Amino acid sequence: MLLTEADSRAMTAKLLGYVKADDAVVFLQSEDYSHLRFAANTFLTSGKRERTTARVTVWIDKRRGSSSTTDLSDAALKQAVEDAQTFARLAPVDVEYLPSLAQQTYRPGQGWVDATARVDLPARARQISEAIAQSEKAKIIGAGFHEVGLLAQATATAHGNFHYERGSIVGLAMTARTPDGSGSGYFARNHLDVARLDTGRIAREAIRRAVDSRGARMLPAGAYPVILEAQAVADLLDSGGMSFDARNADEGRSVFSLSAGATRVGTKLFDPRINIVSDPFRPELSKFTASDEGVPAQTTYLVRNGVLETLRYTRFWAQQKSRQPSGPLGLILEPSRPGVSVEEMIKTAKRALLVSRFFYIRTVDPRSASVTGLTRDGVWYVENGEIKYPVRNFRFNQSIVLMLGPGNVDAIGVPERVASSEGGTDPLLVPALRLNAFNFTSQSDAI
Amino acid sequence: MIRRDFLKLASTAVGSATLAPWVLEREAAAAAEVDAVKTAFAEAALTRAKVLGASYSDIRINRYRSETIFTRERQVQNVARNQDFGFGVRVLVNGTWGFAASSIVSADEIRRVTAVAVDIARANSMFQRKRVRLAPVEPAVASWKSAFEKDPFDVPLADKIQFLLALNETALKTNGVSFVNSSMRWVNEQRFLATSDGSRIEQYLIRGDPQLTVTAVNRQTNDFQTRRSLRGPQGLGYEYIEKYPWQAEATQAAEEAVEKLKAKSIEPGRYDLIIHPTNLWLTIHESAGHSTELDRALWWEANYAGTSFLTPDKTGKLRFGSPLVNIVADRVQATALATVAFDDDGVPAQRWYLVKDGVFVDWQTSRELAPLVGHKTSYGCTNGDSWASVPFARMPNVSLEPAAQDTSLAELVAGVEKGILIYGDGSWSIDQQRYNFQFGGQTFFEINNGKVGGMLRDVAYQSRTTDFWGACDGVGGRSTYELHGAFNDGKGEPGQVGVVSHGAPVARFRQINVLNTSVSMT
Repeated sequence: MLLTEADSRAMTAKLLGYVKADDAVVFLQSEDYSHLRFAANTFLTSGKRERTTARVTVWIDKRRGSSSTTDLSDAALKQAVEDAQTFARLAPVDVEYLPSLAQQTYRPGQGWVDATARVDLPARARQISEAIAQSEKAKIIGAGFHEVGLLAQATATAHGNFHYERGSIVGLAMTARTPDGSGSGYFARNHLDVARLDTGRIAREAIRRAVDSRGARMLPAGAYPVILEAQAVADLLDSGGMSFDARNADEGRSVFSLSAGATRVGTKLFDPRINIVSDPFRPELSKFTASDEGVPAQTTYLVRNGVLETLRYTRFWAQQKSRQPSGPLGLILEPSRPGVSVEEMIKTAKRALLVSRFFYIRTVDPRSASVTGLTRDGVWYVENGEIKYPVRNFRFNQSIVLMLGPGNVDAIGVPERVASSEGGTDPLLVPALRLNAFNFTSQSDAI
Repeated sequence: MIRRDFLKLASTAVGSATLAPWVLEREAAAAAEVDAVKTAFAEAALTRAKVLGASYSDIRINRYRSETIFTRERQVQNVARNQDFGFGVRVLVNGTWGFAASSIVSADEIRRVTAVAVDIARANSMFQRKRVRLAPVEPAVASWKSAFEKDPFDVPLADKIQFLLALNETALKTNGVSFVNSSMRWVNEQRFLATSDGSRIEQYLIRGDPQLTVTAVNRQTNDFQTRRSLRGPQGLGYEYIEKYPWQAEATQAAEEAVEKLKAKSIEPGRYDLIIHPTNLWLTIHESAGHSTELDRALWWEANYAGTSFLTPDKTGKLRFGSPLVNIVADRVQATALATVAFDDDGVPAQRWYLVKDGVFVDWQTSRELAPLVGHKTSYGCTNGDSWASVPFARMPNVSLEPAAQDTSLAELVAGVEKGILIYGDGSWSIDQQRYNFQFGGQTFFEINNGKVGGMLRDVAYQSRTTDFWGACDGVGGRSTYELHGAFNDGKGEPGQVGVVSHGAPVARFRQINVLNTSVSMT
């Protein structure tokens, strides 16, 4: 059972009432989460968990301590507060201490849909059974994951701030493989509204890609023009390879650092059509509108028309640099002109590799935001406006900043809601991209 | 609420396992009440599941405690202690799994949640294609404690903070060091498993993960380099802090971070590699650990972590590596992170070969997986990372055996004309079938004509699993063997985090492809 706003007000008030410290922030998170996992065209596991966590952070003489518990009895909550206070008394002075927030003003979030909270188990089982039936009919082996997540969060401070919010999400990811292992396709989408999740389309797309990727040819490694589907773009941008953290940049340990303490803010690092925006309010994202500390969400252009406009600030670093602290992130990459469809990108390409997804992306060199990883579940060779044949997978080594740089971005698509295929449900709004060069450094036998 | 249920249910407990004394000693009074009745709670869940039609059921009532301390330079960034307590009920109805979990540990909630698990299983079973069959297991009643000496939760916080700040101070003494981050994380798992087969198992585990990262920044050239500590998580208590030479490690890390700024950038090409256990553990994990997971080979992980280039028909036939390569799986090695007495199926911990004399010979299995390759019993690889997670097949400790002869690092280096000696794990990535991988490291030293020379930078090695292990022509002896591991092995949907160790001696690999990872931003 999710905490209601009234429950949350009562529990945060109770927790703050136990506090005998100079300052405190309490954070409640309550989840109701269920899943159905399938593979080899049969159900594997299915379950539901309900959990509420209370976290308390206190400061005594600017010394900080924190503790959390899932036990919500009065005794356990008191103990959590006392633990945090004990740690605070033992800790050295927190030189980054800032008083907790006074009451903030929050724009209402739109991240909750009642219908998603009412997804019923037999209906879900039938829906996934139908996705498996589509696989069986196409002589495909299907694997996938359906999840429904309901989350309520509340934050309250000793200085009078309180914020409560709920969010819902439902998603399906599916991988389809040909029985001989010669083809594999993947498709995934999620939404806050169950009515907007087209499970039939997800199954059809995964199956189509598996069928179309059979008999892939091996091409030599090297730099190729590419068309990255929105999924592949989300995989790269969510990999952590390009962080917009201001403090790291100011401290000289970021791709956005320059010599002698300067940063690249204000420079034209990206293609002039590229905007990178944090906007949790965008209806297609509708993310939480407050950070754990209670900082309200804002709409912020990190990159505008290719120029790095600002970076993201913690409360402490914002105070040090006289900036506004950043609220929660809702990452959007969007073109400053209308985007073109993937079909149009293919139709107008002389030569390119069409990439559907990336896998196992890890930072190789933070100085250049360089990452490595692999293509997965569908690569095709495009020539003179047509998809010619499927291609075997590659490993790549690529700087994300240079990839989006002036001269390398050929075409930008229409942003759509996609979550990283490795990063859970957190959605981004990103378009497909056609790029002049992308560095594939070796071939992979994996299918 | 808890108190009333406690009294009511306590009187119904029959045949309960004896609770280990340390479980009660370490808990606050309210929590101890629940500990004292958890066998009774378990009976209630298992009985209810049976009445509702489950052919098998289990319940895990687990408490996880963790303590983390983060510091940078001369300040403490955060000190936190977390407690996560709850239960999860798993049932089989008509050969279909159902699972439900809650953080409210009371008799009423256990009854309600058990019914939810059965409802889920029953709803899904209407559409189930293949029924689950479990390999048999002997019921066990046992309590067990992992091989730690000093419980870190008994050590005063002030001592831990003082240790980390002293470590930072040591690193900051080296000219050219710009930043130091250090942390320690301690975890205590108090696990209780009861199964409808009759097992009642208590386990108490401790593990720790001290970390240090030194950063050297050259603001003139806009360059920065980091060096992380070579030691990572271990299944040890606070003795890990007291016995390992951490101050020397901080000094060395600081000097090497600064030295990396001036090190020679690698010329890409093929090199003989001498790989230290501080690096090789991760290559073992990714290439041998994950490829021998049977659920991957059966495409159960196809939608997330991936499948495997190994398939059941290759068992006992496929040449995985050179005849020097012996890779063993175990859940029994003392101080290793995946070591337990029993897995979450109630199967006792074991040790077995995955690769013997270079040939792939066996799999990691659970009770559900074992029958699918004709095994009569499970190797005991089932694990759930939380009471709220569905237990499934997770990696045991997977290690490269040292050579029978005690070959030293110097002897392996002596056989290299042009090569690189690699320490510490860095960037890592491998494809979804575990063929193609790329690994970085912390420090790299050139080897010329059998001698170790100066430091190199921007190094990553890229290879194919069977090519790489096939190129292994030298394995160090027992004196070079070290155990390393991870706190963060992700697998499954919903994602779960595994803890696992990998032992390795120093080893030599011939003519491996090496990349230069630096990219000019100008």
